[in-house]
Amino acid sequence: MLILEAIIDGVRDIKDHFGRTLLQLLGIILGAGSIVATFSLSVAGKEASMKFYRMTGGIERIWISDKETGKITLDAKALASKGLTYSDAVALRKEGKEIDLVSPVSESNMLVRYGNVEKSRNVMGVTPAYSPISFFHVEHGRFITDSDLTGAARVVVLGTTRAQEFFGSENPIGKTMTIDGSGYLVVGVMEEKYFSFDQKRNALRWMNRFIYIPITTMMTRKGQPLQQGKISFMHARMKDVKRHKEAVAEIERILFRQHGTKDYQVFSRVANLARNESENKMYDVTFMICGIISLLVGGIVIMNIQLASFNERVREIGTRKAVGATPMQIFFQMLTESVIVSVFGGLLGIVAGKFFTQGIALLTRNPAAITPSTAMTALIFAAGTGLIFGMYPAIRASRLNPIEALRTE
Amino acid sequence: MSAVFKFENWRATEPAPPSAETVHKALIQLERISKTYDSGENAVQALRGVDLKIDRGEFCSIIGPSGSGKSTLMHILGCLDSPTEGRYWLDGEDVAAMSGKALARIRNQKLGFVFQTFNLLPRATIWKNVELPLLYAGIDGDERKARALEALDRVGLKDRAKHRPNQLSGGQRQRVAIARALVNTPSLLLADEPTGNLDQKTGGDIIRLFEELAANNQTIILVTHDPGIAQRTHRRIQIVDGLIVDGEEME
Repeated sequence: MLILEAIIDGVRDIKDHFGRTLLQLLGIILGAGSIVATFSLSVAGKEASMKFYRMTGGIERIWISDKETGKITLDAKALASKGLTYSDAVALRKEGKEIDLVSPVSESNMLVRYGNVEKSRNVMGVTPAYSPISFFHVEHGRFITDSDLTGAARVVVLGTTRAQEFFGSENPIGKTMTIDGSGYLVVGVMEEKYFSFDQKRNALRWMNRFIYIPITTMMTRKGQPLQQGKISFMHARMKDVKRHKEAVAEIERILFRQHGTKDYQVFSRVANLARNESENKMYDVTFMICGIISLLVGGIVIMNIQLASFNERVREIGTRKAVGATPMQIFFQMLTESVIVSVFGGLLGIVAGKFFTQGIALLTRNPAAITPSTAMTALIFAAGTGLIFGMYPAIRASRLNPIEALRTE
Repeated sequence: MSAVFKFENWRATEPAPPSAETVHKALIQLERISKTYDSGENAVQALRGVDLKIDRGEFCSIIGPSGSGKSTLMHILGCLDSPTEGRYWLDGEDVAAMSGKALARIRNQKLGFVFQTFNLLPRATIWKNVELPLLYAGIDGDERKARALEALDRVGLKDRAKHRPNQLSGGQRQRVAIARALVNTPSLLLADEPTGNLDQKTGGDIIRLFEELAANNQTIILVTHDPGIAQRTHRRIQIVDGLIVDGEEME
């Protein structure tokens, strides 16, 4: 009942002194605004990178490649090492308990031709596992199969950009194109990958530029025996993301046994993600501190104004006490007013935060989204500021001696 | 040792209660009320043992020169201040030793104040101003509105309910203050120089309103320095130098 009256009083106060209230609230507005901006950018950024990972194989994907080493540090074993080979992939597949898929890739620049179009393009020799491990599927036709692999078949699957480049509006499936002088049957066209952080550039356009042939075919063309055939890199998929450390350790153990030296490197996306997150956290904390400092300043301003308006209203408080308001009632009434004013500031702050967020998103081309929970957080922080800094003026008002208050002019 | 303390404590907190007769008959009973303001080295004794009894329905005035202690007496009667010593029964309740919160409740339920400077809340409507005591009594909105309107009707300002105080004349404002003082049907209406800020004619109207209320058995204490106004009350209580020198009923 009394709270309701206090809320009405608070709203009337804002209306009666709108300009003064706005000035009073500047700190709260900026504080709540930067909290909104921090959360929006950080939440949206995290979501975007998670989505990016999901579209390209998820965080369960592990990347394994040769390690670039300086010649000077090479020992005899390292010199003897040929780097990653197809047999490493077979060993991982056979012995790895933490992983369920292994996808070796052998890349090479080859001369690709269809009709009048002839270009030097990067061609990837892959296994059927490549598609599920990369979350990348064919749209038309089929992907490389196990029988393609065993038969070292001369079949090719194209990314959308390449299909467009060589075939234009023609349907490439069933056509034969020439790669390094030999004919390959086009059996599939991949789906188009699209993902954008800034709504402008496709961050996954490189995936649409791939040309796939069976890895066995690639080895044969290079004149390498399959088991010793060099591969460019491989992907592995861990069974359980929570056991990413064990998965990486297992892969390293198997590879070390194969090579006898550490001439390879293993990256897990989970570890990457954790590193990114701790970097992001630094930005978040910096922003957050700015927001909290603004709120503190805003709170001090609120306290000052409340004290000033308290001096203006000593007689009013005295009157209220004379007609029977208890100290507690006065305390709650004054406190409610501070909270109302600061909640109002918080609401304006959310609007300001929306502009901040859009501005920052525009400048840095980062994704941004204001979620209801973000707005709620800002509002709670603002209300809390009003509550804490309204405490002292409210206590002073509640302790006012009514006789002296009524005597004041 | 502890037994002695206990005994003394018992003596201090359990005085002989007033006889049932006096409690029921008198609305106000003051016994040896004194008030000392302790401002550092020189203490000022504003009241020096006041005895006073006021019955229900009495219309009295407290008169005395400034510095006589009449304001202090008025504050104690109005439960805005507590006496240093002495006992005060108001409507059967011993209020002399009450806490601030309990006094607020007494003011809210048993007292109505009318001030020289009206003390209306400038930003609230007349209606809201009159409702104020009921708000703190925790009475809900509809009843509050109805009772406030009723009180405004009694002072003839029902049609001004939605105005703000600055849209009214001084006399009208004082009527609003009287409506506010009456809204909780108080046992005692206390008015401190209610005509002090009004011209002769308007002041006369206000006193006439008090007379009407008194005729309806409302207990009223009016603090004034104007002998003409005091003359119109039924009993004059004269205070000089912290003591009542003449408090006889004038029949």
